[in-house]
Amino acid sequence: MPQVRINGEVVVNFDGSSPNLLQFLEQQQQAVNYQCREGFCGACRCKLLSGQISYLQEPLAFVRRGEFLPCCSIPQTDIELEIPK
Amino acid sequence: MAYTTFNRNINDQLKEPMFFGNAVNVSRYDQQKYPIFEKLIEKQLSFFWRPEEIDVSKDRIDFQQLPEHEKHIFISNLKYQTLLDSVQGRSPNVALLPIVSIPELETWIETWAFSETIHSRSYTHIIRNISAEPHKIFDDIMLNERILERAVDVTRYYDDLIDGINLYQRCGEGTHQINGKTEQITLRELKKRLYLCLMSVNVLEAIRFYVSFACSFAFAERELMEGNAKIIRLIARDEALHLTGTQHMLNILASGDDDPEMAEIAKECEEESYAIFMRAAEQEKDWAAYLFKDGSMIGLNKDILCQYVEFITNSRMQAVGLKPRFATTQNPIPWINTWLVSDNVQVAPQESEISSYLVGQIDNEVDTADFGDFDL
Ligand code: FES
Ligand SMILES: [Fe+2]
Ligand SMILES: [Fe+2]
Repeated sequence: MPQVRINGEVVVNFDGSSPNLLQFLEQQQQAVNYQCREGFCGACRCKLLSGQISYLQEPLAFVRRGEFLPCCSIPQTDIELEIPK
Repeated sequence: MAYTTFNRNINDQLKEPMFFGNAVNVSRYDQQKYPIFEKLIEKQLSFFWRPEEIDVSKDRIDFQQLPEHEKHIFISNLKYQTLLDSVQGRSPNVALLPIVSIPELETWIETWAFSETIHSRSYTHIIRNISAEPHKIFDDIMLNERILERAVDVTRYYDDLIDGINLYQRCGEGTHQINGKTEQITLRELKKRLYLCLMSVNVLEAIRFYVSFACSFAFAERELMEGNAKIIRLIARDEALHLTGTQHMLNILASGDDDPEMAEIAKECEEESYAIFMRAAEQEKDWAAYLFKDGSMIGLNKDILCQYVEFITNSRMQAVGLKPRFATTQNPIPWINTWLVSDNVQVAPQESEISSYLVGQIDNEVDTADFGDFDL
């Protein structure tokens, strides 16, 4: 079960009860910006500091190196992520 | 150099830059330099909708009962959106098609602009329904100073680019005497105008619509003007995709992978890019003040909307590699996001008030009690 470290603080197990990382973060009471929840608007962009995620569907939004879209992805390994402020 | 609708040069389209290479000859998608644009086309086509399918008849009653200051908010926003989509329905085609060099991007531009024409037609659908005199609303767009002020900034970068392209394609680089005036153009200058034009379009679709969207959804949160809100959701979904298309173009250009000179130009244009964002944000805040000049609406006021403008401006700036310039870090109206979610838009037809399905729905709602007096 991959562990998710959020903003360098909280560490939570991704136990599969959320279909994607955006919902997972929301369940942890983390405020993440979002719009489409389908990978095409880019509003949910977060930083991936370490580890790997995999996309459930190919994102259409522009994603820079070191960033990812939580709305359409799940962790592959333990990850560290940062929600932009 | 002169534009041709079917370029006879046999070229390798995979080696063309996005813009200012050979004009596209064969529209082919078997090989693609940037497959993302075809994916955007497919997505846009999957979003297809027709204004006539959305039942807005209940809005007429709601509208009549709105207090005057809320009518002003509603109508002013529709006028402003009408202006924006009038521009967007034609300008990507006029400005970008003469200079685009790869087929998948050319077709994305056409698909994008086409979807804007749906938006334009939807405003007529809404306005015809709420007003017995729709012409008065449309006629005012060309007279309303608040709207015209915005039109200047919305169109300026398009017009500069189009003007430069005309000169370049007619006369080439250099200094030319045109109707007794001395005009100068270089390819580099044109590239700069293109970059700034895309930045300004990005700002248009990223920020300028959102004050209006927020008001539409604030009405709908009170179960008012819900037909309108349904249309605005479909428009907002399209706009999020357009924005993504433009962000891809800007980011590809700025990377220099496509055309090394463009990376330099993107750097050169950084200050002006900031200025375009900041100017649009200020104008949208002024617009919020104009909307609420006679009173706020439940759930929204000028200050909240201004904070929202700052919030989305920050996030849109980051998307194209700029630094946020406002202190606001929180979305002051988080409820708006639930209206912007894509999958909620695709409700099962029978749950929405899509009129083509409504016919069947009305039949189904006939209660058995209605047959009480029938002897079978
Ligand atoms: S919410 Fe739109 S890309 Fe994630
Ligand atoms: Fe539009
Ligand atoms: Fe658009």
